[in-house]
Amino acid sequence: MSGSITAPAIDARGIRRVYSAKPAPITALAGVDLEVQPGELFGLLGPNGAGKTTLIKILTTLLLPSAGTARVFGFDIEHETKQIRRIMNMVAGGEQSGYGILTVREQLWMFSQFYGLATREGWTRVDELIDAVGLDEQRLQRVSSLSTGQRQKMNFARGLLNDPWILFLDEPTLGLDVSAARSVRELVVGWKAAVPGRTVLLTTHYMAEADELCERIAIVDRGRVLAIGTPAELKQRVQRESIFRIELDRLVGGPTALARLPGVVSATAATAAQAGGTTGDPRQTVEVNLVLVEDAALGGVVGALGGLGARILALRKSEPTLEEVFVELVGRGFDDSEETAAHALHPSEAEPDHDREHQEVG
Amino acid sequence: MTASLTPLDGEAGFRFDPERTVGRGPADRLRSFRTAVVLGWKMEANWTDPVLFFIYSVAKPVSAALILVVMLDVIAGASGHDYRGYVVVGSALWSFVMSGIAGLAWSVLDDRERYRMLKYVYVSPSDLVTVLLGRGTARIAVGAMGAAITLVVGVVVMGVSFDLLAVDWPVLLAVMVLGLAAIVAVGLILAAICLQTRQESWSYPEAVAGALFLVSGAVFPLSVLPSAVQAIGLANPMTWWLAGVRLALFPGGTSSIGGPGSLFTNLTGAAAPDSPTILVALLVTGAVVTLGAAVVFRWSERRAKDRGLIDQTTGS
Amino acid sequence: MTTRAFIGRPTASPREAADWSRRRILANNLRSVVGRAYPRVRGMAREPSWLFFEILLPFLTTSSFVFVYRALQAPQEYVGFVVLGGAMTAFWLNVVWMMAAQLYWEKDQGNLELYFAAPMDVMSVLFGMAIGGLVMSATRAAVVLVVASLVYGVQFSVDQWGLLVTVFVLALAAMYGLGMVLASLFLMWGREAWHLTHVLAEPVYFVSGLNFPVAALGRLGALALATIPLATGLDAMRQLAFAGHLGPAPFLPPLAEAGILVAMTGIFLVLARFMLRALERRARQEGRLTVRWR
Repeated sequence: MSGSITAPAIDARGIRRVYSAKPAPITALAGVDLEVQPGELFGLLGPNGAGKTTLIKILTTLLLPSAGTARVFGFDIEHETKQIRRIMNMVAGGEQSGYGILTVREQLWMFSQFYGLATREGWTRVDELIDAVGLDEQRLQRVSSLSTGQRQKMNFARGLLNDPWILFLDEPTLGLDVSAARSVRELVVGWKAAVPGRTVLLTTHYMAEADELCERIAIVDRGRVLAIGTPAELKQRVQRESIFRIELDRLVGGPTALARLPGVVSATAATAAQAGGTTGDPRQTVEVNLVLVEDAALGGVVGALGGLGARILALRKSEPTLEEVFVELVGRGFDDSEETAAHALHPSEAEPDHDREHQEVG
Repeated sequence: MTASLTPLDGEAGFRFDPERTVGRGPADRLRSFRTAVVLGWKMEANWTDPVLFFIYSVAKPVSAALILVVMLDVIAGASGHDYRGYVVVGSALWSFVMSGIAGLAWSVLDDRERYRMLKYVYVSPSDLVTVLLGRGTARIAVGAMGAAITLVVGVVVMGVSFDLLAVDWPVLLAVMVLGLAAIVAVGLILAAICLQTRQESWSYPEAVAGALFLVSGAVFPLSVLPSAVQAIGLANPMTWWLAGVRLALFPGGTSSIGGPGSLFTNLTGAAAPDSPTILVALLVTGAVVTLGAAVVFRWSERRAKDRGLIDQTTGS
Repeated sequence: MTTRAFIGRPTASPREAADWSRRRILANNLRSVVGRAYPRVRGMAREPSWLFFEILLPFLTTSSFVFVYRALQAPQEYVGFVVLGGAMTAFWLNVVWMMAAQLYWEKDQGNLELYFAAPMDVMSVLFGMAIGGLVMSATRAAVVLVVASLVYGVQFSVDQWGLLVTVFVLALAAMYGLGMVLASLFLMWGREAWHLTHVLAEPVYFVSGLNFPVAALGRLGALALATIPLATGLDAMRQLAFAGHLGPAPFLPPLAEAGILVAMTGIFLVLARFMLRALERRARQEGRLTVRWR
């Protein structure tokens, strides 16, 4: 099915958006280029105020850009809004829309009519989706009495009513507890996998969520895309070596025995007591932090350990987080970014910084 | 605040000070009231420039008065001139009643449905009634301004006779104080109802004001109504308030309560109530309504808490 | 998890999914009318307090003006004028409160962006709101007409029933067209919309001759006849419902006023379509579709 789709799901070029505000205009997007292929689950990761929601509102035809162009499956966001609205849907986190006096079933049916489903077809589809998202017990409950997690599941069901080709999710797990957030993430993955070619654009400031769900991620800050790549590629920017933590029953000669092996950059004991390779206590194990040039060097280390008579009890790879990637790119953490996000950028600062155009990784 | 926190001996941390749970009674209420008044004024007045705001405040009561004036002219022509003063004054004063009744009710709906702040106000130490009264004060002030300007327009443009030297100021002051309390009490009853109903209750204050309009002698004497309805009018504090203001501002004018065929005249033998009668009746009826408002509001508040209505949104 | 629900009815490509026929577009808009009317009708059934506040109490307000005329010892036809005016007030309030200010309130609730992100025409949504409110308005108008006529002894003398019904329907159509025009303006005016809704009550009642023949206002009345559908419809309906009434001679005969209503309907609907599109574009430029309290 996806073979018949030739246009990118999203093709944004030079998108700028400036809001008039007092005391000075706010530049929410300062020149964004983005291409998302059909069938991708693409993430926009960045702190509050980075411009993620503004970009989604432009792509969902709710907002016009101040400059630049964007297309959704080849349809222009400025002049072909009707076509885009027929093939997309959107769900935002913390959404309180709808009519409290209606039941879940009625609310969803109302929206099914907005998307052109026939009356009976609408009820059938609504019932199917209510079951699919796990709201069967709340089917006849008034919307005003739903919990936050239930409400978000209902919003998600609303987002699927018209079988969209592209689903825009703006912080869909915002404010949800662990269980509810996991449910929503599973729904996203399950829905996308059901039909090839479906695309999801997800914005989030939860790094674990982006890491878990997204096939590619764009890191955004202050209205600019700083880097795009798969989670692994982005992390490789920060950590060019491979780091492992290995637990052994014993190690004759200590970590220095490993440090001389090919491909090993360094090998250090996890604790000072284990620096000599044994602790004198036959029950205690030895943990070593290994830094390798690349993952492939691990094979040689494992083989050498066998020759040293050591038995591997546990092996764990250490990876940097996406926040560390962000810090590497921006020079400050997510929390620091959110503190400064409220400051308005003056027009002089809003000019595109050509030295900091986003870089494709990998 | 930090002065009431006492570090525990030898440890980092602070001991909870029960003194913090004790309020300062009237001082707290006054502060809440003042803050609510300021907030209410900002919300009432900052949506447009002062000129448009003025026009908006005046257009409604002046138009309402003009409707009645034209009705009068169409039927009675020049011979209805004396009655013109009656309807203009009643219509102008009714706009004040309307703003008082609506002020509190709309504050509940605004805070619950639009700004979603009602629950935060409710869980704060401030008394909800005090906050609602403060918020309603701005609307009442706007209504008072509209009423005053309509009266001026009535005198200057519509030919209503008015003698400033003949005004009975003590009676006017007493009637305004008692009447305002009664109007606010009715507003509180409506606010209590709006706590229970859904968003479309925006129109309820106007509907209630319209119904009271019938039995208050605002634009026609009560004697026109059937006796049973007149009795309802006599139990209504708005009736006595309107009569009192009319008596104070336009002594010697047509009474809305007395007159040939009126229930009041039939019961008391007097042609029209004098100012002591009006003040006593206003005090009694106002006290009954105020007491009723207190009971109804507390009941409504409890019911709202019981059913989780304080933080609901109910659009349709 | 039910995979079938997630499969739905996929199309071969986004192009195919986006390519709707005119018939499908029309069906979508008509279904949207029904969809948007649904919560309004359901809401009325679930909370019946409107029966007291929207029907009984307004009837009492109309009664007030009846008693004003009784106090003036006016001819009985004038009581009929007030009763008819009170009935039509219901529809005017539906137009102003349930249509004109509605998009602004929907924005407050966060529904507006969902409406604009959906494929149906926003006019369908407005029409659905109006239809939904029509139940309440029609009930109110019927109560005022029937009960007030019985209680106050109003006698109707109708010679042309067909024209009367036609004028009524045209007046509704023109009022709803005006409501759509106002809805787009109110969306842009933001908070002023709420207050302007109030301003549009009494002043419009006055110039429309809600309680008296609009001819009594002279040129102002003539201007109102030409611009406010409530004034035009009410004047025509009065002439038809109380044939041979007393009072100032009307400006125009009912048939001419029906023609004015036809023209108003056409103009308002075309204007509404144009304005909704223009103002949607402007709202998208300024970001007003999603920002509350503006």
